[in-house]
Amino acid sequence: MPADDQSRSFLEPAVLARLAGVPLMARRAMQGNVSGKHRSPHRGASVEFAEYRKYVPGDDLRRLHWRALGRTGREYVKEFEADTNLRCCLVVDTSGSMRFGSHQNGGLSKIDYARRLAGTLGYLAVQQGDAVGLSCVSDKVVTDVPARRNPAHLRHVFDTLEQIRPAGGTRLVPVLHELAETIRQRALVVVISDLFVEPGELRECFEHLRFRNHDLAVFHLLDQQELDFDFNRPMRFVDMEGGTSILAEPTEIADRYHKALTAYLTGLKTTVLETGVDYHAVRVDQPYEQALMRFLVQRTQRAGAR
Amino acid sequence: MSFLQPWLLWALPIAGLPILIHLVNQRRYRTVEWGAMQFLLSANQMSRGFARIRQWLIMAMRVLAIVGLIVAISRPLASGWLALTAGGKADTTVVLLDRSPSMQAQTNGVSKLDSARRQLADALGTLGSNRWVLIDSATAAPQELESPVALLESPDATGVSSSADLPAMMQTLYDYIKTNNPGRTEVWIASDLSENDWQRDNGRWASLRDALVEFPQEVRFHLLNYADDSTANAAAANLAVRVTDARRVEAAGGAELLLSAVVTRDASGTGELPPVSLPLQFEIDGARTQMQIELVGANFELKDHRIPLAGDTQRGWGRVSLPADANPADDSAYFVFDEPPVRRTVVVADNADEVRPLTLAASISPNAALAEAEVFPPDSLQTLAWEELALVVWAAEIPTGKTAAQLTRFVQRGGQLVLLPPTDPAGEQLFGVRWQAWRQPPQPLTPDNWRGDHDLLANTQSGAALPVGRWKVARYCSLEGECSTLASLPGGAPLLARAPTDAGGVYFLATSTAPTDSTLAADGVVLYVAMQRAIAEGLRVLGDTRSQPAGPALPAAGEDWRRVAGDASPAGEEVLSTAYRHHQGVYAAGDKLTAINRPLAEDHPVPLAEGDVERLFAGLDFDQVDTQPGGDNQLVHEIWRLFLGAMMLALTIEAGLCLPRVTKPSSQFVSAVKAPPTAAKPALEEVA
Repeated sequence: MPADDQSRSFLEPAVLARLAGVPLMARRAMQGNVSGKHRSPHRGASVEFAEYRKYVPGDDLRRLHWRALGRTGREYVKEFEADTNLRCCLVVDTSGSMRFGSHQNGGLSKIDYARRLAGTLGYLAVQQGDAVGLSCVSDKVVTDVPARRNPAHLRHVFDTLEQIRPAGGTRLVPVLHELAETIRQRALVVVISDLFVEPGELRECFEHLRFRNHDLAVFHLLDQQELDFDFNRPMRFVDMEGGTSILAEPTEIADRYHKALTAYLTGLKTTVLETGVDYHAVRVDQPYEQALMRFLVQRTQRAGAR
Repeated sequence: MSFLQPWLLWALPIAGLPILIHLVNQRRYRTVEWGAMQFLLSANQMSRGFARIRQWLIMAMRVLAIVGLIVAISRPLASGWLALTAGGKADTTVVLLDRSPSMQAQTNGVSKLDSARRQLADALGTLGSNRWVLIDSATAAPQELESPVALLESPDATGVSSSADLPAMMQTLYDYIKTNNPGRTEVWIASDLSENDWQRDNGRWASLRDALVEFPQEVRFHLLNYADDSTANAAAANLAVRVTDARRVEAAGGAELLLSAVVTRDASGTGELPPVSLPLQFEIDGARTQMQIELVGANFELKDHRIPLAGDTQRGWGRVSLPADANPADDSAYFVFDEPPVRRTVVVADNADEVRPLTLAASISPNAALAEAEVFPPDSLQTLAWEELALVVWAAEIPTGKTAAQLTRFVQRGGQLVLLPPTDPAGEQLFGVRWQAWRQPPQPLTPDNWRGDHDLLANTQSGAALPVGRWKVARYCSLEGECSTLASLPGGAPLLARAPTDAGGVYFLATSTAPTDSTLAADGVVLYVAMQRAIAEGLRVLGDTRSQPAGPALPAAGEDWRRVAGDASPAGEEVLSTAYRHHQGVYAAGDKLTAINRPLAEDHPVPLAEGDVERLFAGLDFDQVDTQPGGDNQLVHEIWRLFLGAMMLALTIEAGLCLPRVTKPSSQFVSAVKAPPTAAKPALEEVA
């Protein structure tokens, strides 16, 4: 790690050190440019046997299985798995609502939490030779850093993360559709957002990304106060994304707020289950290391450690 | 509804405090930037239905709770039928209690009077007052009570046989307020609204009403009406007995008593009365006999029922009684009997011939009794036995000095005095009335107006009018002074007038019996009737026995009156000697015997017409509670418990409405996450 990276406010060396032992695995085959830790849809030259197949003209004769030819008189080619690297596209929601942080978290906002998640994931990916890109989204794509795998690029990513300032509305769904089209090769798309979008709209963009063979992971960030809604006096709620304000008696509408929230969470759960998204609900007051460890370990168990 | 602590109701605006706090709270909002606005918008839209009603309900419950508390500590009162308007503790509470016999009618064993006393004691004890005053119908005098409970114990609140005089009681009330000048005064009147007691046509009502209105302090009247409900009380037919005549006669077998009595049945609200057989009990000087009578219709009249008297019994007393019924106060009647006194009349005149028609009219007795009429000149009255005279006819100059004093004493004893104008009126006055000069109209005059309802010129028992209109008056003397006219000539000049006296009767005739002056002697019917009526009235005080209605004082006697017989006191107490005149029975003082019976009007109490009471109390602060004896009806109930319960109910509902119905979104959020494997750490170590 470069010396100046340690001074990033959202990176904790101790956490990085603990998480570095767990590889960041993709749940499906990736198409990289160089050799890496991830399965590739192509056959390669690794030591991992894959299969026999019939020789077809054009195949390298060096890969012909001579023993099989001698025994059977038929030409077979012995193939091995290919290992490649992945493209990790970090999509961070920078809409105004990400600025919210209650006193219960010591003033830690959702965007601060998202910075920690994205920075740590980016570092881990680059450390294992994967490429990392960053897209910051609010009512438009604020910043788009293409995926690269060199450490100098990581610094650029960190700089970008440090500079982002949440503002404006959320246009996550169009941006995800756009990313699904613009990322040409298979990639691990990690969305870090409070997902204040209708679950039905999310379903479409999640399916779009899956259709494009991307591995989609979502970190859904919510504050404890957004879940509890435990105000006990009249409040004027000002929309952080620039909408109107509402003067309400929280005790009067708390049950309905919770009802709406529960309905939303239920719909979201259905959506992520049906679209196969690697979904992680994270409360901002939880340690981000715990959330990341859970994320990495689950992927390792599914993919099998290399 | 009324309140014992009405001033606490000034705290009622506090009930608006929840609304005020709500409004202030609405203004004291805090601003917060919020991210999850979509849920808030959704919740806000959903809350416009029941949630808003719930909010108003909560506020209403809070307001109700405060109102309930304030009303409860104001000690609200409620009455069974009518919300009284007592309005706090009175300075003075005056009870006007009708103790007349009609108030002793019972329902379910409880008389109206007892029910009134009980209800008043309860109600007034609850309402409270600085001073309690009782004005009862018998004494019509104010009497201070220590507490309302004294109504239950005081002998001045039990039933009597005399009628009530409501105008007199109101006059006493007026005098009391004027003398003592109390603060806010509550007047409670308990009566059965009998017309005889209320005397709605009495002229004092108007002046009393005007005078009471003028009082600066608040005087409020509450009437407890115990009048029978004619629609509901048809079952209890009350019987009453009355002795109309009792006289001793000598028969072949010895002395006998001829007794006449009337038994009446209260027929109100009934159509056809079933015949009733009942025993009528007679008691003569303690010896009892009984006869069975058949009562068909409303009346039974017993005429000259002969009851043999023991040996030489000259005088005595008796009682006629019926079995107990709804009103025990009218089940007995008392009488006394004696040898009839001589009907002795004295005509004082200078010339006996001129007053001969008067002498004749006085000396013809309507019955077997002996009648004497003598003529005396004015200057020879020294030997006259005044105490034996029933009537004195004075047809001479108006006396002065000792003679006038004798005449006054005679009248005060109960004697009757008829004065005819002298030949030459000298201007002297007697009993406040004097003659003026003779007048001679051009044509003889005939009386055009006379009182046929009472006194000397009253109609006959069958209702026929006396032929007063046939009189022709050629000469008459006009009268000067305060007197009530019994017959008048055209132009209003009195022909026969009565001077006001406490006892006895003093009549002034404006003309004489001389043929030149009038046709009184020629048309002697009226003269005879008037003379005999005056003699009969004078005889009532002559003998040692007499009967009188309850109410007026017993006649003066040399000894104290003692009670010989009488109704049992309703409270079982001995009747006080000062109250003898109000309790029917037989009383003796030396040789004198007096029977006291309830007034005739009490046998047939006629209720006031609808609206009469309102007219009598027009302009005064007045309300009326119709009630009936019996049962456990209370006039006022303290109902603070009801309001306290309402307050607690409101608070409970408010608490129920305020209960938060919060779902657990955080758990839902966590459950949406795929739970980390329990062996997370080993897996991590394994990978590492």
